[in-house]
Amino acid sequence: MLFVFFVPFVAPCAPVSRRIQTVVWLLLLAISFGCNSGAKPVLDGPARVTRVVSLAPNLTEIVFAVGAGDKLVGRTSYCDYPPEAKAVAEIGDTLHPSLERIIALKPQLVLISTSSQLEVFTQQLQNQNIRVFVTDPQDLEGVFKSITQIGEMLGQKDQADVLVTKLRERANAVEQAVKGKAPVRVFYQVSGEPLYTAGRDAFVTDLMHRAGITSVTADVPGAWPKYSNESALAAKPEAIILPTGGSMGAANSEVTEALRQSPAALRGRVYKINDDYLTRPGPRAIDGLEAMARALHPDAFK
Amino acid sequence: MNRVTLRKTLISCALLGGALLLAIVSMSLLGSERLPARASLCALASLGTRACGLTSDQFDILFQIRLPRILLAAAVGGSLATAGAGYQALLRNPLAEPYLLGISNGAAVGTMIALVFFGAVEWIRPLLAFTGALAATFAVYRLARGRAGATPERLILAGVIVTTFLSSAIVFVTTMMDATRIRSFTFWLLGDLSGTSKALLPVAITITILGALALTLHARSLNLLMLGERDAFDLGVEVGRVRVVVFLVASLLVGSSVAASGSVGYVGLVVPHLARLSLGSDNRISIPAAALGGALFVIVADTVARTIIAPRELPVGAITALIGAPLFIYLLKRV
Repeated sequence: MLFVFFVPFVAPCAPVSRRIQTVVWLLLLAISFGCNSGAKPVLDGPARVTRVVSLAPNLTEIVFAVGAGDKLVGRTSYCDYPPEAKAVAEIGDTLHPSLERIIALKPQLVLISTSSQLEVFTQQLQNQNIRVFVTDPQDLEGVFKSITQIGEMLGQKDQADVLVTKLRERANAVEQAVKGKAPVRVFYQVSGEPLYTAGRDAFVTDLMHRAGITSVTADVPGAWPKYSNESALAAKPEAIILPTGGSMGAANSEVTEALRQSPAALRGRVYKINDDYLTRPGPRAIDGLEAMARALHPDAFK
Repeated sequence: MNRVTLRKTLISCALLGGALLLAIVSMSLLGSERLPARASLCALASLGTRACGLTSDQFDILFQIRLPRILLAAAVGGSLATAGAGYQALLRNPLAEPYLLGISNGAAVGTMIALVFFGAVEWIRPLLAFTGALAATFAVYRLARGRAGATPERLILAGVIVTTFLSSAIVFVTTMMDATRIRSFTFWLLGDLSGTSKALLPVAITITILGALALTLHARSLNLLMLGERDAFDLGVEVGRVRVVVFLVASLLVGSSVAASGSVGYVGLVVPHLARLSLGSDNRISIPAAALGGALFVIVADTVARTIIAPRELPVGAITALIGAPLFIYLLKRV
């Protein structure tokens, strides 16, 4: 997947031998990381980075969490956490970043999340000799890997390792607590009208699995598929998770009309969980994991 | 109405109405979830008063989710095809279509403004959609009237200008929305029937039926208008009044369907053309036939949209355009 995606943007402008080299390199990458792996560096280089721009809120959170917040010189308008991030210059939003403003900030490194679909943009940055790191974690391991890699690139390897160890401990504690509990069958409602859910490739699907939850849409292809109302009802979810209340505000705080007659809604098993924890593959994903496990398996945390 | 036309109208409407009923019933049996066919038919025949052995989940899927969506598809298709037939007759232009003239976009801007500023109040959506459609209709009409009168080319150019202007307005309104909602709006803009609102469904059906009746009642005047406004005036048609009625009714039809389902394209173009090709260009037949045929067309297109990659879904607008554009090219080549 990754391989097919990036070659067209990288290949045409490189000399032939380098092009072949790039292709081989990307092929190796695609093989070594597999399709569902976590972070995928697009360019490699010397480790000394003093100025970095982040184009996604989860990446901004990672930069601060590994103790490199002072190196962040640019962020998107969606990057609102931690509060110190708001003092950093804005370069637009994730979908429409300003190339000029980024170049003016003279970063050595730009962090991108592939979910922002910025392949063409990536190429433009590379033409400016700015290194680009693209990451698209599809599970919790992928999040840990992004944290480690970003920590290494920003010269904060030790702090990143400590952070990953701590997060891993918390994740393991949750998994231990829900071990042996019957998994709860949940419908994860990304938005109600039209109905979107989390599919196979969404990292929240892995989080749910670890929290002792079976997502009824865990096998649906894609990350955020639009889903059939009647299939959602026919799946008879025991509970419904609504990611809401964070950056989403009050949006998505109600169960979609089609599911109001579902056993989950009738029994009041509808859980609102801060969408920032569940939609940002960063350090706070563990908060999301804990919140989901506590909501759906309250007896496991007494 | 002379006897031959009346008979022909009644027969073709009865046939199309039968086909529509057949489509509503048979498409109710198709969906991402399998329902037992015999029990479903029995429940449908009882109009939902008996479960006929369907489990309560299956009953809910059939009557709470699938049937309302099919009825909304019928209302949207009927509205758009009727409006298209009306615009084509009034503007004497076979290419006049709510989507191509930017009128759907006008309604979409209205709906989006309603969603951004009055999100909770559902009935404001069709109201502002109607206002937007009417404003776009007026703009296209004024732009199309040059010193030499409204030529077909000028009308289409005016439509292109209004469409692109309103597309920019749509992009502008999306910047006022939060990121998480933008994706569902792009889906909606392509025409999507999955968010069938229980509150708007009866409104949409009522408007479709009344709108189709109103335009059919003006069909004789529209026939005469196709000779030219001056000739029609000489033959006793109140040209100004007919124009206002058709614009109002068509905008209402487009507004209510866009508020319910976004911009479903090509319905207003393809269906009236098919109606005229098969039944002749007499508006007394082609307008009611277009209304019924449009309902049929969108029901089938939406069934494809909701079953082809089930349990995932496509926007119905993608299907109508996929069927509509090639069919339209074929029709153009044939004429």
